Amino acid sequence: MITLMAAFVLVLQIAMVGQRWLVTNIRVFAAQSFLLAGIANTIAYFNHAPHLYIAAFLTFSLKAVVLPIVLERLVKRVGIGQEIAPIVNVPLSLLISGGLTTVGYIVAASFHHPEESASPASLGRNTLAVAVSLFLIGFFMMISRRKAIMQVLALLSLENGLFLAAISLTYGMPLIVELGIFFDLLVAVMVLGILVYRIQETFDSMDVTKLSRLRG
Amino acid sequence: MLLFVILAIPLAAGATSFAARKRRAMEAINLAGFAALFLLAAALGAKILRAGSVQLWNGFLAADSLSALVVLLTAFVALACSVYAVGYFREDERNHVFEANVRGAATISSLRNYYSLTPLFVFAMLLVALANNLGVMWVAIEATTLASVFLISFYGRATSIEAAWKYAMIGGVGLSMALFGTILTYYSAHHVLETETLAGLNWSVLVVNAPLFDKTTMKLAFILILLGYGTKAGIAPMHTWKPDAYSEAPVPVAAMLAAAVLNCALYGLIRFYVLTTRCLGPEFASQLLIIFGLLSVGVTVPFVLVQKSFRRLLAYSSIDHGGIMILGLAFGGALGALGMLLHLTFHSITKPLLFFCAGNVEQYLKTDLFRRAKGGLIHSMPVSGPIFLMATLAVTGIPPFSLFQSEFTILRAGFGGPLLWPPILLIVLLVVIFIGFLVHIAKLVLGEDPGLPPADLCPWKKYSLIGLASVVVIMGFWLPGPLFDLIRNAAQVVGGER
Repeated sequence: MITLMAAFVLVLQIAMVGQRWLVTNIRVFAAQSFLLAGIANTIAYFNHAPHLYIAAFLTFSLKAVVLPIVLERLVKRVGIGQEIAPIVNVPLSLLISGGLTTVGYIVAASFHHPEESASPASLGRNTLAVAVSLFLIGFFMMISRRKAIMQVLALLSLENGLFLAAISLTYGMPLIVELGIFFDLLVAVMVLGILVYRIQETFDSMDVTKLSRLRG
Repeated sequence: MLLFVILAIPLAAGATSFAARKRRAMEAINLAGFAALFLLAAALGAKILRAGSVQLWNGFLAADSLSALVVLLTAFVALACSVYAVGYFREDERNHVFEANVRGAATISSLRNYYSLTPLFVFAMLLVALANNLGVMWVAIEATTLASVFLISFYGRATSIEAAWKYAMIGGVGLSMALFGTILTYYSAHHVLETETLAGLNWSVLVVNAPLFDKTTMKLAFILILLGYGTKAGIAPMHTWKPDAYSEAPVPVAAMLAAAVLNCALYGLIRFYVLTTRCLGPEFASQLLIIFGLLSVGVTVPFVLVQKSFRRLLAYSSIDHGGIMILGLAFGGALGALGMLLHLTFHSITKPLLFFCAGNVEQYLKTDLFRRAKGGLIHSMPVSGPIFLMATLAVTGIPPFSLFQSEFTILRAGFGGPLLWPPILLIVLLVVIFIGFLVHIAKLVLGEDPGLPPADLCPWKKYSLIGLASVVVIMGFWLPGPLFDLIRNAAQVVGGER
């Protein structure tokens, strides 16, 4: 069950790479976060890890509701064009994402631990592989997208990968750490949002390849 | 209790500055806050020397000699910068920098940004050093980035927004790697400790059990941590944000980034280094650190030689010093750790001086480009000019100054190690950097009088410069006994003996 959900998370990540509209991308991210919250809930239920419910709730409210709304408002407010204008074209991006997923599976193979195998909450290598793939594809999106908001979104999906890694390896970080991470994430999106707004205002564009005056 | 007060002071200072109406009030709050902070940090150092370590709230906050050293240095840099900042921003105001650059924002609100974000920034740095939990430490390091983004884009120029964006993005990606490393460390400890409480990530708990951790996981974790906190420390090849951020930020902010944030990032790295060496033995971490350290020093060379701007030159100097400290850690042993921490201390004291001099020159000439400056600054700037030259000699590690001693210690540790070529290469690179640096600054400061009007230096800038310069000179000849004891004890923490 968890493996299935994790697979959907991965599919959504690749969908994010594969399509061109900014607002759709934000919604895909919201759906991905929603699934992630579901995974966290399931793990919390089967493994009796009550603190994960809180993390799941925060993931849901913050990443699936609040942040997407903030980002969509930002998109409307700066009134930018809808296309994401990738540096690497879509078919090639998909191919690279496929390659990165393979790398994810290879990396995850080295973390075999036999004691968790047959239970319904079996996390196994699959979930970790998905997490590593999310992380790597997030990286790839950061360097291959021009729009500043897309880079913020890539950073967030990278963070989703980390969250998945944390819950699949250790049933989540200690609660206080988890809370701190969520707080940082919220502040980070606010700060980056303001910066995006200022970039748009100053450069009349959100194309980060125009940020190239400082050299040497 | 002391730990709590140390963290509470900058928070309170930030909040009251935010509420303050007048510039004078904000300046006074910052000065008083950082002065008090420095005294308390010294008190913490003294207490640690007596007691060994202090804990609060079940070990949520903890300080050993290493944390106490970083806290003391952070407080020192913050105090020096707050004194200089008063003069610096008053001069900016006289030069009408704010009206020209900050769009639609009045002077007072820009200053409020600075005076309320800076204490917050300092708070985050102190939390890095005092948090026992490695997860909380990560949160604090991320918070230093977030608190300083708007300090870097302070002037609101297109270039400063560019610098802030790169800083936030590169820093964000780097720290996400560090978070992955932290998760993996937690995972490898998980099987040993069998706990899901906060203690499972407390350094004081982990360090005892480190030899039992899963070795493959720890290897991967250390690589990720090195890349992550290395990005924050500006180690090559993840250093690209540094010249931009250092040259666009206001001088006091740049000085704090160079002299205090660097320490915090290295502090994070050291904590994981100790765990890794306990788990895997010293070779693994050492090899990686040698590569990154030499790369950082090496990358600096071409950029120093052809540098066009003296603010960016200072950033490359900071990359170079980060590399030297990493090499101290890599050469290892008691001597390498001692050399690294001595270097950390001396660098934190010398670097702000260099930034203050550069700031004075920039405000006087209204440019940071070498080609627009005509040289001969020593005639029109009788205080800043000579001190700039002296600070340059000090920071490149010339014998009477203290950075020579620490570099010498690191090199001795290097020659004691199994490989001979890294320390030899380091010497060659350091000499080239010294030559490049000195040629640039000498051309700027010395030479014929170009006939510029004499610079008028307000007392705040003048005395912060002279005060700090005398500390640098004194440190060259005499290191206070208690401070040296603190450094030596901290080196034992790094060496894993305590």
